[in-house]
Amino acid sequence: MTAAGAGTLAVLLALVTLVTLVMRPRGSSTVDFYLAGQRVGVASNALAICGDYFSAASFLGVAAAVYVSGLDGVWYAVGFAAGFVPVLLFVAAPLRRFGEFSIPDFLGRRLASERVRLVAVGVVQIVILSYLIPQAVGSGITWQLLVGRGLPGLSAYATGVVLSTAVVAGLVAFGGMRGTTWTQAIQFLLLLGALVWLALAVAGSGFHYSSAVAELSAEPLANPAQGDDGWYLRPEANQIDPGTPALFGQPGAAYGPLAQFALILTLVLGTAGLPHVMNRYFTSPTGTAARMTTVWVIGLAGLFYALAVMLGTAARQQIAAAVDDHPWLDELTVDGVLRVPEHALPVLGRIYGGDSGLAVVAAGALVAVMSTIAGLLLAAAASWGHDVYERHINPRASESQAVWAGRVSTAFVAVAAGVLAIAMEPRELTPAVPSIVAAMVTWAFAIAGSALTPVFVLAIWWRGTTAAGATAGMAVGGTVSVSMFVLGALPVGPGLGETLMTPTLVAAPLAALVTWLVSRRTAPPDDVERQWLVLHGTAADRHAERLARLTLASLEPTRRRSGRAARRREGRGANG
Amino acid sequence: MEYDDGVDEHDTPAEVDAAFRTLRRVAITHVVLFLVAVLGVPALSLTLGWWSDGQLAGGMSPGFAMAAFGLYAFFLVIGLAAASLSSAVEARMLGGRHTGEDDGFPADGDRS
Repeated sequence: MTAAGAGTLAVLLALVTLVTLVMRPRGSSTVDFYLAGQRVGVASNALAICGDYFSAASFLGVAAAVYVSGLDGVWYAVGFAAGFVPVLLFVAAPLRRFGEFSIPDFLGRRLASERVRLVAVGVVQIVILSYLIPQAVGSGITWQLLVGRGLPGLSAYATGVVLSTAVVAGLVAFGGMRGTTWTQAIQFLLLLGALVWLALAVAGSGFHYSSAVAELSAEPLANPAQGDDGWYLRPEANQIDPGTPALFGQPGAAYGPLAQFALILTLVLGTAGLPHVMNRYFTSPTGTAARMTTVWVIGLAGLFYALAVMLGTAARQQIAAAVDDHPWLDELTVDGVLRVPEHALPVLGRIYGGDSGLAVVAAGALVAVMSTIAGLLLAAAASWGHDVYERHINPRASESQAVWAGRVSTAFVAVAAGVLAIAMEPRELTPAVPSIVAAMVTWAFAIAGSALTPVFVLAIWWRGTTAAGATAGMAVGGTVSVSMFVLGALPVGPGLGETLMTPTLVAAPLAALVTWLVSRRTAPPDDVERQWLVLHGTAADRHAERLARLTLASLEPTRRRSGRAARRREGRGANG
Repeated sequence: MEYDDGVDEHDTPAEVDAAFRTLRRVAITHVVLFLVAVLGVPALSLTLGWWSDGQLAGGMSPGFAMAAFGLYAFFLVIGLAAASLSSAVEARMLGGRHTGEDDGFPADGDRS
């Protein structure tokens, strides 16, 4: 580990710990622990949502996908960025106004059914674990890249997994949602800062984005492959027009026609069902604030992914051009093309900033992983602690007991994810690594978008949704997406495999159809009209806003008195 | 401690139902526009040669430019428009003074 790398990491962890200590929950209520007292402002909540959402898959994965597949990789960025538009239109404000602790809590109370709550807990836990394990794997890989050695008795990879999950679990258990909100906001700013610095460094070196795309598209796209005689560059097969070569700026390098739409829709629909992201909306003070928070997130996501796509393109062109001047690139590249595409941003960082540049980018990746792990652990804690412990194991639990249940759940889920991540350790840093990370993140989006999003949207926008319908919808969406995913992993032929691996295109409409059909044959909850007033009315928002205005007004005379006293002091000082 | 300033904030079912229907129209209109854009860009890349082959200033194709940054600007514009319109609808249709009597209203999803 270089001194720059060690310094960067130490400063980063000290900053995050300090923020958590300062912002830790002051009370011991569950609202404070899980929802930060429901007083998180628009800008800070938007930054925290971005910290939750932008994982290693976004930071390293999108640039890598563009690097290796050109335009087909850009669809990842489009899908990730687009996912918040449906959230804004259909979910954010009503979800906050209903005001529960988690997705299962929302569905359980909206549909007046403990069975729905428990089925939703099951689905949510699968989504969380699917998302958590690749983050832990990513932290192990990043530790290998940044530090390169492990604690006594542990490999570098295992050390990264253990330390990152233990540190984040400790911060979450101690800081709750309030502390986590601020650490995630700061982590996102660090992440964005690393990306902006790299983009400025690349642009300052004379990189011309538009001509780079044209130049890269002028010849067939080829990537390293390992043959009997070692590594060589293999031209990518065109999935759309098999007779022609795949080009960087045109579709077809990775996906066939249907798979392109399936990927985008999987990512778009999956976002609204991600528990760690949706739980953040319960922390907004009002529904209107939740809606405006989403507008900020859409803007920040657009900036983030536009930069990631640009840097993926820059890496493809600049790394090939830098091979002659940087001999250390020889072992990482084949004829100027990286063997592991996820190295695109760290290598670009080293080219433009030396070891410090590499440390900044690697620390950014570690921050992305830690921030997402924090959000996932909190969502798991809310789900186990509130929906299972408080509701079913100990319904008479005191606030303090409920908070401790959340803390213990955090530890258990962190240990489970750490153990599974170590068990799934890639044997070496080869192209097999990103496939695990990317596949499992897509898997989480696919289950969330297939099993949760259709039921979630129907429960918000259709009075006729029933508990039986929601249970059937979640079961069908989950089962179909899992089945298609398993089938897609088998050798089913080119084109079909990619479509099956992104099953939301089929599973989500089926889940919605089953929810509707079963709901038509069963009765909605008795108090659906009262619930409708809470979901779509703004009385609670107005009440909260009026209280805020009254509080500010009551503080105003104190402020005026302080201002006058200060002016008098200044006057005396000037005269004296 | 809960603060009570004596003002009774509530919405009538008829008001909420009217606002709900308007907001649903707003959401559906915007989601259709959103889907046309987000699926239209890859569709054009698959069907129109000039969309992928043509060159804007410097050499980038219109399709790549839309996917690389144009769509994100569009998402922000459509998100801002939908959020502003939805909030304006709620401010206009909800929170009026009530006589204390709720009027009848059609229930969405009512099977009677």
